[in-house]
Amino acid sequence: MSNVKRTWNVNGEEKTLEFPPLRRLLDVIREDMRFTGCKEGCGEGECGACTVLLDGVPVTSCLVAAGQVPDGTQILTVEGLEKTEQGRVLQEAYVSAGASQCGFCIPGMLMASFALLSKNSRPTEEDILDAHGGNICRCTGYVKIIEAVRLAAQNWPRK
Amino acid sequence: MGPKRKIKSGHVGADSTRVDAPDKVRGRAVYTDDIDVPGCWYGKVVRSPVAHGRLRSLKRDEEFDWSRVSVVLPDDIPGKNIADLFIHDMPFIAHDEINYLGEPLALVAAPDRELAEEAARHFHPDIEELPGIFHMEEIVDLYKKQDSSLHSLGEQTTVKGDIEKGFSEADMIVTGEYWAGYQEQLYIEPQAMIAEMTDDGGVFIRGSLQCPYFINPELCLTLNLPPEKIRVKQEMTGGAFGGKEEYPTLIAGYCALLAMKSRHPVKIVFDRNEDILFTTKRHPSWGRLKTGLKKDGTITAIHAELLLNGGAYTTISRVVLARGILHAAMGYRCDNVFVDGRIFKTHTFPCGAFRGFGAPQATWAFESHIEELAKACGMLPQEFRRKNCLVQGDVTPTGMVLKDSVGSPAVLDQVLDRSDFAKKLKQSSRGNPKHKKWYGIGLAFFAHGSGFTGDGEARFKAKGAVELDWIEPNHPGVNIRISSTEMGQGAFTIMDQIAADAISIPLDDVRCPLPDTSLCPNSGPTVASRTTMVVGHTVHGAGLKLKAALEEFASKEVFEGRPVVLENGRFVCSGEALPFRQIAASYLDKHGRLRTEHQFTLPPDLKWDQSTFKGDAYPAFSWGCNAAEVEVDPLTFEIRLKKVTACFDVGRMINPLNCKAQAEGGLVQTIGYALMEKMGIRNGKYDADRMQTYIVPTMPDIPEFDITFVEYPYEFSPPGAKGIGEMPMDGLAPAIANAIENATGLRCNRIPIMPEDLFTLHRAKHQNG
Ligand code: FES
Ligand code: FES
Repeated sequence: MSNVKRTWNVNGEEKTLEFPPLRRLLDVIREDMRFTGCKEGCGEGECGACTVLLDGVPVTSCLVAAGQVPDGTQILTVEGLEKTEQGRVLQEAYVSAGASQCGFCIPGMLMASFALLSKNSRPTEEDILDAHGGNICRCTGYVKIIEAVRLAAQNWPRK
Repeated sequence: MGPKRKIKSGHVGADSTRVDAPDKVRGRAVYTDDIDVPGCWYGKVVRSPVAHGRLRSLKRDEEFDWSRVSVVLPDDIPGKNIADLFIHDMPFIAHDEINYLGEPLALVAAPDRELAEEAARHFHPDIEELPGIFHMEEIVDLYKKQDSSLHSLGEQTTVKGDIEKGFSEADMIVTGEYWAGYQEQLYIEPQAMIAEMTDDGGVFIRGSLQCPYFINPELCLTLNLPPEKIRVKQEMTGGAFGGKEEYPTLIAGYCALLAMKSRHPVKIVFDRNEDILFTTKRHPSWGRLKTGLKKDGTITAIHAELLLNGGAYTTISRVVLARGILHAAMGYRCDNVFVDGRIFKTHTFPCGAFRGFGAPQATWAFESHIEELAKACGMLPQEFRRKNCLVQGDVTPTGMVLKDSVGSPAVLDQVLDRSDFAKKLKQSSRGNPKHKKWYGIGLAFFAHGSGFTGDGEARFKAKGAVELDWIEPNHPGVNIRISSTEMGQGAFTIMDQIAADAISIPLDDVRCPLPDTSLCPNSGPTVASRTTMVVGHTVHGAGLKLKAALEEFASKEVFEGRPVVLENGRFVCSGEALPFRQIAASYLDKHGRLRTEHQFTLPPDLKWDQSTFKGDAYPAFSWGCNAAEVEVDPLTFEIRLKKVTACFDVGRMINPLNCKAQAEGGLVQTIGYALMEKMGIRNGKYDADRMQTYIVPTMPDIPEFDITFVEYPYEFSPPGAKGIGEMPMDGLAPAIANAIENATGLRCNRIPIMPEDLFTLHRAKHQNG
């Protein structure tokens, strides 16, 4: 199959890339664009470490064929978070709550939190559990991640 | 810019946030697979498709273009074809007998991953298949029949008092058998390693690993290189839990052999399926306990047997067994104790290190059994534990007198109080058919040895160093040089705190780089809940020496020989003060780098006999108590863990925030061990070999936690910490089983406990009566 060409907005910058249409979005992000913050933990949609946002919606990039992602899509990876005030609030909350241990699940976890809080900055306990149910963390026991999301919600910049 | 760490005043004992967190939340932490090594090839292991057999030949497709790849066969190994993991019973690459499914038959490397994988498919082993042994049930069956066909990989006994006499004094004897299954570490970053040759003919190995000084010297034998030609560096590690303790020597060896053959750097990163199938697991276990009791609840004799399924080769199993038997009857007063542990071979991947290291299996059996003992003499579980638990001045099963730093009964009392245990126990359903949901609370009390077994630390002589150097341009500061690794547990943060405290400088002036054997002394492996207590002590000692040297320099060079104290980042001399950085800079300008080192010692009166396994089993014990509250659905037997109340004594807490984080993470792994993580063997292969089938706790599975600490510092070793890493893994499984019994009236003697197990027990109970 011949390569396809796509132009996306990645972390706020326009990028045009060519790749085989079935190449995993995860590989395009990690290897072609070198956003290595995005992690592979399972390669089959179970761990959530590879989560990125496509137009604000969290997807596991290991299960997305990059050719399926249309031109003009806004892609947000963990590296893009610090460019927005909301992103920085979320990162600060993770640091001060002690939510990161080995850090390998954290990029995916942050993207899940960011997607949630962007839509719903006053989440209930259940909203938080729902939003992160697809992200596995083997280190933290999730307690401090929940605390971080609550803290970020408290400090979330609202218009 | 970006997130800043918050640092409260004071170092040791303060909730400093983690030094590694800002990079991690920005996606800037560089893990092994993130490193772009120019010219790097990819390695792949060609594996045996059968679990037990004899290799007749290994054929290769002739039409495949082998010139594009590099292949390593047993004859290509420069040294001995032996994996130097404690015992020399495992070949690096199998050449004759195959002992587990997936055993390496060849290694192959290629410029890209796809080609390496393709090449691996063009090998065709011809293997004469032999019958195998796989299951703990088979082992126990043969063991009970005293069948000599069982292949032992090691055994150890420890005896106290006179067990026969103890049983003869008993009013009653209680027995029980307790089974525990496999557990997969499931660190989220799979095993990953890179090796490349150096100009001097050596190798540089780096990757995701726990113990740099295991890989060197263990690979010397295989690679035929002296230790100074093997450099090992840890890269950022995405979780380990013991899974990256002894195993990385193998993947590092595969990379190094391929790098030496191909003359290219070689990287291997496992995919999840390969990682689950072909790396270590927690040993499945079986424990049998027989205990003599007096009517008043006094324990007169404990006879404990602990069997481990070792897998195909010995590797680290004897060390795991040692910790297992030292915890198999630990925690309660008894003059007559006999503990016997054995490891048996099966045709599965060798089992290995996993957080707790034999103690969770032992504690699972013993704390389930303690519950039965309480019942047998008509006491409440908390009364029985309160009456018999070891306290200061008591003697452990190995004859160790608990002289100081004993957080028992404090942890037990704290949990009983905070969980309102007595009242909630009365409310427990015990299978009452009138209850819509069955509620139950259960208890477990335990101790966990910190550091290497016995006089291991005294013999090992762990060293740590600190060095004054430029840590950034124009920023003089202190590098901590230890071989301890940061794998998520927070070691570097607390080392920073300890060093900053000892030297009395701000945290910002201290850093702890990832270890590299070319730069760090051997502080030992990052295992056995020893890092804070043992290596923390060496950093503390080295820090004090550095401080003294700098004070002397300042006195001589600046303050005309008057006494100087370095205090909170300032050199103070009778009213005058100069900043640390100024004096540090002038020291560096004048003398260059200053390095001080300190070695860990043990009290001279510590006694241990390795042959009888008697004496002071550990430098110190940490103590813990857990209460679990469960709800069980009487229709579906679905089990919901509602609340966990836990209290631990880990000595002096260097960083309470981090202690809590360790406790939470460990307790949640134990929820998986007790209730979710089920793995069997079918046709020689693990039946849960992907994340889809090996189910670990996710956010909705976690209960409410009430976690507290009581501090009984280990005074011999400032700043007084004991171990914390493993202990949260020890007690929650039996606490949950005990809670389930109080909820349902059903005793589960096997973990993980699944709803279908409760259903089977329920039917058996009602059919029989
Ligand atoms: S790597 Fe994509 S979900 Fe695990
Ligand atoms: S922090 Fe290690 S997996 Fe989540």
